[in-house]
Amino acid sequence: MLARLFLALLLLVTLPAQAAALMGFKDSAMLMSEFSTDRKELMLNYSPAVGHAFGVETMWMRGEKQTNLITNINYTGLIKRWNMPSGQANLWFMTGIGEASGDSSGFSYSPSVQFDYETTRVYFLAKARMVRAPHIQYDTYSVQGGFSFYETSFEETQPWFVVEARTTEGMAMRNEITPALRLINQNYFLELGITNPWDSESRTPRLNLMLTF
Amino acid sequence: MKKLFVIAVLAIFTNTAFAATSIHAEVKGMVCAFCAKGISKKLREQDSTQDVWVDLKSRMVVVELKDQKTMSLEAFTKLIKDAGYDVASVEYINKTLVEIKAEHTHMKEVR
Repeated sequence: MLARLFLALLLLVTLPAQAAALMGFKDSAMLMSEFSTDRKELMLNYSPAVGHAFGVETMWMRGEKQTNLITNINYTGLIKRWNMPSGQANLWFMTGIGEASGDSSGFSYSPSVQFDYETTRVYFLAKARMVRAPHIQYDTYSVQGGFSFYETSFEETQPWFVVEARTTEGMAMRNEITPALRLINQNYFLELGITNPWDSESRTPRLNLMLTF
Repeated sequence: MKKLFVIAVLAIFTNTAFAATSIHAEVKGMVCAFCAKGISKKLREQDSTQDVWVDLKSRMVVVELKDQKTMSLEAFTKLIKDAGYDVASVEYINKTLVEIKAEHTHMKEVR
């Protein structure tokens, strides 16, 4: 009961699995999650060296025909980083292996690649992820784009407007468009969005928070 | 006489090293406060660090050193790289953080 309560609290106060930074700095831990009606994801990783992180992830997915809980151990690697005078771009590779349970069960794996580009004013991200297990296929493709309302100092909180388009095979809600307000501070990354805001049947809120420690 | 000259030269260089109160660097790729937190955190953990200033707009990182303490530019550069960024330029500067901030503010006002 306590473990479930702890997990629920973590899910409520954590972030999108699609933030630009998928790991913190050397010797840091990062907590990431996504919390919406059909999908609850939580990932915790530790970075022992620049560009490498190891962790655990758990995904609860409500599909068209079944509901599953997938728990993996994972690795995140930075394939290439471009540090530019006024921007940064990254190419990431992630993979996880573990076990799926629920309406189908067995060995699970979830490789993915992500590209992101960011300046102090604009942001772009593209990601492709396979989530597979016996009789389970939740493959996801997504793009995000956004802009900050103004530049800020390191100590200030910077507001961004971000839109994400995502499609996931096998999910109850296959296509999602999520406009969101993102607040970035040196201590946290908070995102509040509404998925499919124009559709009363599929409209659902999304809360994300990312923490590094 | 020769010895005296060597001692004098060493004294001058030693003085210059100790006179460096801050390290000033321009860092490439530093665009987000959340992502750049590692820079500030790692630099603050150093024994020789008095204070740290990160400015995202000018991509500038400044470390004010404690009295009689020093940090090599190589060590500074490694800390920045470990946080995931690249150093475009780095130098010792004989100014306090307060002076550098004041200069920076003045330059912005002039522009």
